[in-house]
Amino acid sequence: MIDHKIEKLLLKVQKPGRYVGGELNSVIKNKKDIEVRFAFCFPDIYEVGMSHLGMKILYSQLNEVPYVWCERVFAPWADMEEQMRQNHIPLYALESGDSLADFDIIGFTLQYEMSYTNLLNMLDMAGVPLKSSDRRSLSQLVVAGGPCACNPEPLADFVDLFFIGEGEEVDCEVVELYRDFKRKNGTKEDFLAAAAQISGVYVPSLYDVTYKEDGTIDTFQPRGNAPAVIHKRVMMDLDKSYFPDRFVVPYIEIVHDRAVSEVLRGCIRGCRFCQAGFIYRPFREKSIDAIDRQCRDLCENTGYDEISLSSLSTSDYSKINDLLDRLMAWTEDRKTGISLPSLRVDGFSNELMKKIKAIRRSGLTFAPEAGTQRLRDVINKNVTEEELLKTVNTAFGGGWTTIKLYFMIGLPTETLQDVEGIADLAQKVVDAYYNHPNKPRGKSVKVSISASSFVPKPFTPFQWEPQDTIETIHAKQRHLLSSIHSKKIEPSWHEADTSFMEAVFARGDRRLGAVLLEAHRRGMKMDGWQDFFSLQKWLEVFASCGIDPAFYANRKRSFDEHLPWDHIDYGVKKSFLMEECKRAYANKTTPNCREACSACGASCLKGGICVESR
Amino acid sequence: MKVVRIWFRKTGAARYISHLDLNRCMSRAMHKANIPLWYTQGFNPHAFLTFALPLPLGIRSERECMDLKLDDDVISREEMISRLNTALPKDLAVFDVTEPVRKPGQIATASYRILLEPENTSADELCSQIRDFFQAPEIVVPKHTKSGIIDFDLKPYLNQTSVSVKGDGVEMETLLPAGSNGNVNPMLILDALKKYLNLEPYADIERTGLYDNTGKIFE
Ligand code: SF4
Repeated sequence: MIDHKIEKLLLKVQKPGRYVGGELNSVIKNKKDIEVRFAFCFPDIYEVGMSHLGMKILYSQLNEVPYVWCERVFAPWADMEEQMRQNHIPLYALESGDSLADFDIIGFTLQYEMSYTNLLNMLDMAGVPLKSSDRRSLSQLVVAGGPCACNPEPLADFVDLFFIGEGEEVDCEVVELYRDFKRKNGTKEDFLAAAAQISGVYVPSLYDVTYKEDGTIDTFQPRGNAPAVIHKRVMMDLDKSYFPDRFVVPYIEIVHDRAVSEVLRGCIRGCRFCQAGFIYRPFREKSIDAIDRQCRDLCENTGYDEISLSSLSTSDYSKINDLLDRLMAWTEDRKTGISLPSLRVDGFSNELMKKIKAIRRSGLTFAPEAGTQRLRDVINKNVTEEELLKTVNTAFGGGWTTIKLYFMIGLPTETLQDVEGIADLAQKVVDAYYNHPNKPRGKSVKVSISASSFVPKPFTPFQWEPQDTIETIHAKQRHLLSSIHSKKIEPSWHEADTSFMEAVFARGDRRLGAVLLEAHRRGMKMDGWQDFFSLQKWLEVFASCGIDPAFYANRKRSFDEHLPWDHIDYGVKKSFLMEECKRAYANKTTPNCREACSACGASCLKGGICVESR
Repeated sequence: MKVVRIWFRKTGAARYISHLDLNRCMSRAMHKANIPLWYTQGFNPHAFLTFALPLPLGIRSERECMDLKLDDDVISREEMISRLNTALPKDLAVFDVTEPVRKPGQIATASYRILLEPENTSADELCSQIRDFFQAPEIVVPKHTKSGIIDFDLKPYLNQTSVSVKGDGVEMETLLPAGSNGNVNPMLILDALKKYLNLEPYADIERTGLYDNTGKIFE
């Protein structure tokens, strides 16, 4: 339902289709039947948010509950925001057109740190008080989940309640508790105290923090009955775990505009820089039957002609070829394509290649992450140069001519030699093309290398590591550029400035709340977009708050430091992460979960690969 | 192979999607509804969807059409309508399927109803302001064409335009050239109001019909 006041603005902004709702499969309910109104907010624009699988799952799941109406809210682009503010139109949900302020629960998904300013801006656009302590009533409860909730501390002042881990069960439990409190006119305080007893719920206002003189945390104490440690929630049986049979199908083109089936969760690998590889343990697979059924339902209900088999590493699905055969038995007739977004260097077999090729031809992307074997051992990326060359040779033989390689710059122990190694490896891929007997005729090869800057993340073996300073990263980027001698190699990188701020907020503590508030006061938003991000502005904000960002980004922590996220438990033990960190410095690799169990601690969750026989 | 003409409305939220988005939306609906489309042969087979005349973003219509090539004609008209409507959002509603009578190339004019909401004046005032303005010897606005932006005189095209007060607003009915032999977008009238009178009233525009050069409605 688009309000007339909003319609008046729509022709003055770009892509008005972002702001109108009304898409196929969007859910409209009768407000009379509703006890809990839930606004699912994605702190980025429509095209990005609508591409996100987690949002689709929880949207459908919450709407299956008869007394809940879950609606979608996205951050408007600057042109629309300006119009809305000028005309006093609050940020609204796409289904009802009602202001965000009218909702019982306002839920955010936290996918990347640079969206935190948008979270504040979105609340502000609806006149919802930013700080939890300023929202006194039970309504306008602000909750958040998603990967960045693993270190919730920078948002502790604003978010009433965090979901730790996978949301499918705990969201519903909290909503049910909310309904009980709303019925009996309970207070927000009592509700939060009760909610904190639900496993996987973290209520930051129930904890007190003190700091040492050196700025590190001294004590972190729960008040009342709040648990000292918050354990993540996990959906052990993916076949039984809720998965939607339909997606909202957008009118306008979005980033990932296709049906998505999540084929597995977690990752067997344990790359030491990768947060997802640790926080989603243990590795669990969905059965072929369930995936097949879900894909059929989704295609049927949406009309999509492309299915993406998504996960952290889809080629690690143990029966990938069987799965593809099963799907292709009907997708070919239905003129439906299958795409595998995440392929490992060593997971690209001839057989797999033929299957992908049968369906869709596009560039191939692999992530060796580091340029030399030594550094790949340090990060536990168990991929060799030989494997990479074998893989690209397979691809060249199969007619591919574009290869994209992902690397990181600024990894622990990295030297200029390792940086050169990136260029060398890319060169070897180019050479492999020219030496290939069956290379595609009359075509030239293109090897893109994308080098992002390493951001140390909580719950990884590198959570204690300093990030390279921006100057060092720039020097390494220049060195990489001067090491490339072929026009067939196309380098690109993410801005080191953004990575620096990401590193600050990824490992930040509660004191960063003041920084976020000040950044918001100065009108900062959309910091994930280069058009908006300004390091200079951020540095000014930090200076005005008397906080040194380098303390968070560039400082080496000692193993005995009390880290801001130590009260959150993802199953993987801190002692294991320490061992892994030491092994990294000794250039020692660790086997993947399929080869051998390394006793990381996640087996306490009692499921997945930890309990399977090898 | 058989060509059918699908008639649909583009209203509400669908008013704000571009022609490109509409095209994708329709293709997806065909796929979802299992319509037996006829595909081109060759390396990258694709289906034929031809829209009679793309509707500019922001304009509503109760009577749009597109042509489809079907593989066979086993689906009845009713079946086709009902299948498509379950596959489409409610603001894109199919109401008829016919055999094409005229070719899209025969479209020569389009009629529009423009409802203006006066902002700081009364409807009467706005109405007479616009009527006076339409008496001007020329009304030149910038117009996007294939060869770039040109100065375009709208005046000669306004002789079939009426302006009247309707409730709290002002209603304009206009017939403008449309189709491949010169197309005049009704938004140009709004551009002119802004340029000459500094007026930016909210406008609800509906395309009410398409006609050939003898004035017969497009079927
Ligand atoms: S306990 Fe063992 S098998 Fe389970 S996730 Fe940890 S290392 Fe892998």
